[in-house]
Amino acid sequence: MADTFQIQISTPEKLLLDMQAQSAQIPGLDGEMGILPGHAALLSELGAGKLSVTAVGGKTQDLQISGGYVEVRDNHVRVLADKAE
Amino acid sequence: MPSLIDIRRRVRSVKNTQQITKAMKMISAAKLRRAQDRALAARPYGAMLQQMLANVAEAAGQSPDSSGHPLLAVRPEKKVLLIVVTADRGLAAAFNTNLLKMAQRFVADNREKELTFETIGRKGRDFFRKRGEKITGEYLDMMKLLSVEYADKIANSVIERFASGEVDAVYLFTNEFKSVMASNLSQTRLLPIEVPTSATSVDYIYEQKPEQLLGSLLPKYVKGQIYRALLESVAAEHAARMTAMDAASSNANDMIDKLTLYMNRVRQASITREIIEIVSGAAALD
Repeated sequence: MADTFQIQISTPEKLLLDMQAQSAQIPGLDGEMGILPGHAALLSELGAGKLSVTAVGGKTQDLQISGGYVEVRDNHVRVLADKAE
Repeated sequence: MPSLIDIRRRVRSVKNTQQITKAMKMISAAKLRRAQDRALAARPYGAMLQQMLANVAEAAGQSPDSSGHPLLAVRPEKKVLLIVVTADRGLAAAFNTNLLKMAQRFVADNREKELTFETIGRKGRDFFRKRGEKITGEYLDMMKLLSVEYADKIANSVIERFASGEVDAVYLFTNEFKSVMASNLSQTRLLPIEVPTSATSVDYIYEQKPEQLLGSLLPKYVKGQIYRALLESVAAEHAARMTAMDAASSNANDMIDKLTLYMNRVRQASITREIIEIVSGAAALD
């Protein structure tokens, strides 16, 4: 199994992030979700909160997002945030 | 024969005009770059949203208690809303004209229906107002104000009017940006939403019920489409204006060349005439 996954975060304005990551914490509408490589296919709405991505090598990046959706499929995480910074 | 001074004056006036068209071309080129970047940056989100909607719609369609979402309701089209996206200003070749012609054709084909208009951009508003159409919403200065919030505002009012049954269908008329030289006219049905179909069906874990997800995705899809249409229209407008002003500048060049040539000929003619007068005057003295 792959030990990383691809994560893309975009807002209506632009693609904010497109990278390989080790893990991610995503604020779902019904609670925090941790995502690791090889996660099962998932679709969820997002709430407001902190989204943090741990890149390959262990560096963590934080984004504040509010609302949106996340889709996980084939080791590929797509986050569609209404707003993010 | 026009006098030398007249021609010189004309050359000067053409030169002045050329300076304006050149400046406008430069400005449009700079703005085009920014608009193009914005339009391109917004594409991944749109594509991802569409993909997601297709998947969710399929899952929601399978569940037993799927009652149609109001934004999907197909009703007989009696009252139709047209959203026409044009520019605020002219001098952009056929940018506005072509779009308005397309919209006008739609109007002519659907005379028996009750048509209302929301116009984005001054040119479209003026056009339909002059024809006495019912304009229920107008948005000006879109170029300056363009943002996600701005598109949301338009979308919200449209969605509400559709959901409440005030209109049965919403069509969007816009210029799609293709390249600097060309733009596409596009006429799309915004509402009721035609759900995109997905190529692959994936068995997702749904954190929320698919119907609930669908309910919140659909309005977002409409907003996304309007936002994208606005971005593309702005980019296409700048592209059209740039091309038009480029052509105008080079036409001015041609005109100046022709006038200069003519001016020289007139001057030469008058010199020749004077010489003849002097020579024949001198000959008469002998």
